[in-house]
Amino acid sequence: MVNRLRQTFKSLSIPVLAVILGLIVSSFFVLMAGTDPAQTYQRMFCEGFGSKGCQTFSDLLVVQVETEDGGVSSVFAPFYGVGGHRMAVVLERATLLILTALSATVAFKAGLFSIGMDGQFVLGAITVAFFGYWLPTQVYMLAGVSDPGAAPQALLSVMHVLIPLVCIGLAMAVGAVYSWIAGYLKVKLNVNELISTIILNAIAVQIVNYLVRYPLRSDFNSTARTQRIDDTAWLIPFNRGLFQDVEWFSGARLGIGIIIAILVAVLIWFFLWRSTAGYEQRMAGGSRRFARFGGIPSERAALRAMLLSGALSGLAGALAILGIERRVIDGYATSGFGFDGVLVAILARESVPGIILVAMFFAGLQQGATNLQFGDLPRQLGGIIIAFIILFSSMENFFRDLITRIQTRLRPRKTPYPNEAGAP
Amino acid sequence: MPLAVDMRHIRKFFPSSSVLACDDVDFAVEQGEVHALVGENGAGKTTLMNILYGLVAPDAGQIFVHEKLSHIAHPNDAIKLGIGMVHQHFKLVPSFTIAQNILLGIEPNQAGFINNNDEADIVRRLSESFGLPVNPNARVADVSVGMQQRVEILKTLQRNAQILILDEPTAVLTPQEVRELYTVIRKLADDGRTVILITHKLLEVKEAADRVSIMRRGRMVATHSVADVTVREMANLMVGREVILRVDKSPATPGDVVLKADNLLVAGAGGMPAVFGVSLEVRAGEILGIAGVSGNGQTELVEAITGLRPVEGGTISLLGQDITHASVRKRREIGLAHVPEDRMEVGLNLKTNLDENVVVTHYQDDPYSKRGILRLPPIRKLAQQIVDAFQVKSARVGEEIKTLSGGNLQKVVLGRELYGNPRLLVVNQPTRGLDVGSIEFVHRTLIEERDSGAAILLVSVELDEILSLSDRIAVMFRGRIMDVLDAEAANEQDIGVLMAGGSLETEPAAAQKV
Repeated sequence: MVNRLRQTFKSLSIPVLAVILGLIVSSFFVLMAGTDPAQTYQRMFCEGFGSKGCQTFSDLLVVQVETEDGGVSSVFAPFYGVGGHRMAVVLERATLLILTALSATVAFKAGLFSIGMDGQFVLGAITVAFFGYWLPTQVYMLAGVSDPGAAPQALLSVMHVLIPLVCIGLAMAVGAVYSWIAGYLKVKLNVNELISTIILNAIAVQIVNYLVRYPLRSDFNSTARTQRIDDTAWLIPFNRGLFQDVEWFSGARLGIGIIIAILVAVLIWFFLWRSTAGYEQRMAGGSRRFARFGGIPSERAALRAMLLSGALSGLAGALAILGIERRVIDGYATSGFGFDGVLVAILARESVPGIILVAMFFAGLQQGATNLQFGDLPRQLGGIIIAFIILFSSMENFFRDLITRIQTRLRPRKTPYPNEAGAP
Repeated sequence: MPLAVDMRHIRKFFPSSSVLACDDVDFAVEQGEVHALVGENGAGKTTLMNILYGLVAPDAGQIFVHEKLSHIAHPNDAIKLGIGMVHQHFKLVPSFTIAQNILLGIEPNQAGFINNNDEADIVRRLSESFGLPVNPNARVADVSVGMQQRVEILKTLQRNAQILILDEPTAVLTPQEVRELYTVIRKLADDGRTVILITHKLLEVKEAADRVSIMRRGRMVATHSVADVTVREMANLMVGREVILRVDKSPATPGDVVLKADNLLVAGAGGMPAVFGVSLEVRAGEILGIAGVSGNGQTELVEAITGLRPVEGGTISLLGQDITHASVRKRREIGLAHVPEDRMEVGLNLKTNLDENVVVTHYQDDPYSKRGILRLPPIRKLAQQIVDAFQVKSARVGEEIKTLSGGNLQKVVLGRELYGNPRLLVVNQPTRGLDVGSIEFVHRTLIEERDSGAAILLVSVELDEILSLSDRIAVMFRGRIMDVLDAEAANEQDIGVLMAGGSLETEPAAAQKV
């Protein structure tokens, strides 16, 4: 038990050390930009994770709030939602990162370094942007409703359940098929999946750019955009529906998507670690020759992994449009959620619980870094800080050695060494 | 004789695996001697030598080199002190020539420009002065393993090594290359250099060393003059109990044909045929041994029978069913078990834990999974059963296996493959790299399995192993079976002739035009 606690502490200490070192090293650049690092980082973390009015690191935990009778009381900051909490925005963004990171993890665990999440994501997004508008209009036409506002409530209720489901299903299918192409090329023709997914990403971006600029363009704004999806296709965010009275949610388009993402994470964990199919793909990924030797159908496992991986990215794209954006605007194809998901998966070392934590942390950092520019700091500075944190996070072995060395230095040489405990 | 190396009270604890690899070890080597350091896998002998070579820092202890207290923190310190090490896995650049490899990092140059002819000359002079002929301009990738080892030795000599550490130098060599190596070692010792030989092959100690130090579980248990100690005594010291070196077995009682291969044709790497028209039969309750120098088609034959390599021609049948093109899973369902040559890469997945490794051949069956969902309690029980039945020391259910020793890993593989009483067991190099105790265990297990009615196809390049275990012996040479001998009647000379492509008929040259 103590041993397990020590292990957990050890694995947690690595990312924390990485963040601290990343901040120390990027201080150099903050100083070059002419500001005080301590202040900048406090701003960044407040903008990323804080409640309204957060100024210092301590405000991330406890904020002083004026009470009605004019006094001051301390409130646990993550629960202080007046004026909207930054964490809601973090969760909105993390929804998508969790799903694309799971998508990457499923492929990685099968030994396939597929980074096709970007392409699958945008194709999923454009699919729901189209069907989220087109399907309801078809339904209204069939039902003979000319004004959706006057449609019977029963019809709208049914549509509000079915249309998002159908849209999500279609987006997942599109993502899965697109990912399967790379898997098929890998299994049948031994085409490197890294290269094929990069190319497929580029193709997907161009397809979406074309669709947004020409066939699906809705009006002649200066920036091309698709029609907004119908209200019945919309997954209404918490701040407009379920929790519209809870101020914590007020600043974010966070919605049911986060619940879907976390449920999916649990399912994927179960699939990978508890199903025979997951076992097959992990064995094939860990050691190809071992899988063949044991009689595992590796090719089938690889194709299944690619299909599942694509479906997850497609789902992320669907939730992005149905829950957050409600339309695709020109340029959304390069929003980078897919690639950030790959980063999250790598930083979380392909652990499913890790992905949820890292996705939130990553989303918060990105938000904090972006918002730095509203002060007197260059926008690029945030990018530099994030890059250093990622760099140090990937130096896992370095930190592990460091910690072991410190531990052995600190620990007095106790006698009973496990002498007869067998050898490595 | 003065001491070349004197290590005192060396202690090394690895916190990550909680292993005390060296426990107050004293180790002294006289100048000009060949000193063997023996011990089972994991006894701490490689750790001790890595400490001497500066690859591992000891927790406590002192090292005297040529009777001077020395601080060795890095291999560069060791090299400066005249210590050279040849690792078990060679550290050469395959695409470079032999000369380039030997002079790597110390190239003779003129203002940064390298002259290849100078390099070749230096290496030629070096190799002549030590009587170790090499072709300086050959690429390392193109020369034999024995030659590569010679390059490693020359590399250390070029850096003026007075003390040479050879880690398991014969593990990869053919018998003839082993003999050449002994000559080289002896010559180096006669020149006044000191050679430390890490090994666990005790016959080798007898043939090559002057003195021997024996380690067991991190402790130095004895140092003897080789002349004063028998192989059996060394084996007992090493394992810590009585070891049976000879395999006891009763005569076989062969039953029905289990495996039948007919006129098999199999392609090797690069599409060149590796097995030409091999026909063989293995019956229940017998061991058919396949002898041969490594690389004569044994690997391809085994892979074809076990379903890892496609068959180009001919047929294979298992218990009367045609399995020529059947999947691995189908073959295993009929009753095949396979202990592969490479247990680290093929037989096991070292990236995962014990449970998932033992269940790989059964994960689809009740009770290990139901409707596509793995059921962990039965899987854990299976792992525990295998650990108990095969006495896999230091393996724990649910834990990683990558820290287990080679012998324990092989026990895991054997335990899994023998679970469920296979009808045919194909074993390829089952004791390669294992220590005496584990070899004894593997051999005993194979005989027990035979006596309980399994058909066993044993492939090994260790002739002793083939001779002591097999009931019939087939000798392979260049993809063909030269002859099948009855083990009772077979002797080493006959098999040696066949292994070299000769024939036992009156005209030995007849078979050589393959």
